[in-house]
Amino acid sequence: MSNTYYEFFCPVKVIAGKAALEHIPYELSGLAAKRPMIVTDKGVRAAGLLDPVIAACEESGLEIISIYDDVPPDSSTTVVRDIAAVYRKEKCDSIIAIGGGSAIDTGKAVNILVSEGGDDVAKYTGAGVLKRPLKPFLVVPTTAGTGSEVTSIAVITDEKKGVKLPFTSSYLLPNAAVIDPRMTLTLPPHITAATAMDAMTHAIESFTCMAKNPLSDAYAAAAIKKVSRSLLQVMDNPKDSDGRLELAQASTMAGIAFSNSMVGLVHSLGHATGAICHLPHGLCMSLYLPYVLEYNLETIREPLSELLLHLEGPEVYAATPSSRRAEASISALRKLRDALYKRCKLPRTLKETGKVTEDQLDQIAEMALDDGSIMFNPKEVNLKDARAVLQRAWA
Amino acid sequence: MLAKRIQPMASQAKRLYVELMFQVMGRALQAVSEVDSEVQAEARTLPEGFLFEMMVMPDGSKLIVEHIGDGRFHYHGDSAPRPVDVSIKFKHLTHAFLVLSFQEKTSVAFANDRMLVDGDVSYAVRMTRVLNRLEAFILPKIIAERAVKEYPANLHLPEKLISAAQIYLKVATHFVQTVRA
Ligand SMILES: [Fe+2]
Repeated sequence: MSNTYYEFFCPVKVIAGKAALEHIPYELSGLAAKRPMIVTDKGVRAAGLLDPVIAACEESGLEIISIYDDVPPDSSTTVVRDIAAVYRKEKCDSIIAIGGGSAIDTGKAVNILVSEGGDDVAKYTGAGVLKRPLKPFLVVPTTAGTGSEVTSIAVITDEKKGVKLPFTSSYLLPNAAVIDPRMTLTLPPHITAATAMDAMTHAIESFTCMAKNPLSDAYAAAAIKKVSRSLLQVMDNPKDSDGRLELAQASTMAGIAFSNSMVGLVHSLGHATGAICHLPHGLCMSLYLPYVLEYNLETIREPLSELLLHLEGPEVYAATPSSRRAEASISALRKLRDALYKRCKLPRTLKETGKVTEDQLDQIAEMALDDGSIMFNPKEVNLKDARAVLQRAWA
Repeated sequence: MLAKRIQPMASQAKRLYVELMFQVMGRALQAVSEVDSEVQAEARTLPEGFLFEMMVMPDGSKLIVEHIGDGRFHYHGDSAPRPVDVSIKFKHLTHAFLVLSFQEKTSVAFANDRMLVDGDVSYAVRMTRVLNRLEAFILPKIIAERAVKEYPANLHLPEKLISAAQIYLKVATHFVQTVRA
């Protein structure tokens, strides 16, 4: 399993902890930016999350020139074009994306247009198209899960063609990711749970899939430990800002891990299920995680055994015979899912979602096989295998 | 340039080997797509006229095949009739050599950042599966197990195709031994 060659890259400055938002003006001035535009969504604004950001900037004499708060959950090329038009009209010179995966991806795509010119972001789709740095760009995540603040990819829907366009370039990475516990404090329980399980899945897949490497492993292991220790604590006490910060950091660390070592079958199945059944990504991750680990078990026994230490702590690890540790890791994850189900009904099977019918499983399996992440799954997957995992996950 | 003076033969041999292997694979892809229902099933979902390329960066050897419909591939040699749809690009000749001499699995090479995909990833994923199946077809089991993640249980080999490919392969393995020595 160990790679004799690997690459690791993460040039994003991480600004994390109490009063992190107050560092935004200083960071922007260091990038010679004076006229920032905020890109966000209605939910973030309604939750009052813009207020501390705006206040932090105004107190330092930095005016937010424009706020676009209408990013939809599935951002499109049209939205990107509209935001770029506002940016140009208002003569902005930098972007602050505040939100979850969609707002962040939109910010990345807008940055392509306003830096490279033009109205059609589809022109820049693919890998390695961008050849130079873009405008100053900060990201403030408001969910602790996607890790988008440290990944060099954005996915935007082309409405006309009805396809999802991937953009990959290290220039899409923000100059800084600002992680402030205030931003996730009001996240509702089911989103807290689902997004944390997304982070957990990033870390576990990165630790067990084909492109694992020692640097990613370190980030992944630390992220798993943080989620295991803090998730239920935060579920029981949502205002626990230390716990919130732990989850937010875990999400960023898991993001750093998986953007360097990729993910596997959990994500292939999750992407397909999201597209066909319109279920939230984090929910799908939590749902499929144990079934995929069981499918991969014999190929990943060693790394999965190691993870028991981070999932359950040293006592349980030491008390478990080494031949049982991989299975114990899977049980620990099942236990966590049961606890989440008890607290916020986060589904553990496809049936429990109430949104999937059994006759959709073939279509999901088919689509999962075409997902890029399947290339990095440690065990080969054919249509029958994918279908069998889905059947296990059904009920 | 210095490297060239030190090891002119090794590099030249790698280049020839990669070129030869691309030809073997191109022909075998076409042949296998005419007989193997699993390859056909994978290929059928590709658009007709879909052009697939494997190449060595920046401008080295190439392999180009076209899906001509109904799951069949046509081998175009090293020149494409129009811009290709998906290209798998090896970053360096050495990386192509590692993969094509079965010292590094295709999937591991992806994981190790040895190559890039240019174009629709879902098509690239499909082509990777076709290539895995192809490798299992034309290689003796012992080498194929090194080349693909899992050796398929259901290979029914048309004898003629295999013997032809294995002749190429003998030449090829001889090359590897020479170059590695
Ligand atoms: Fe994810």
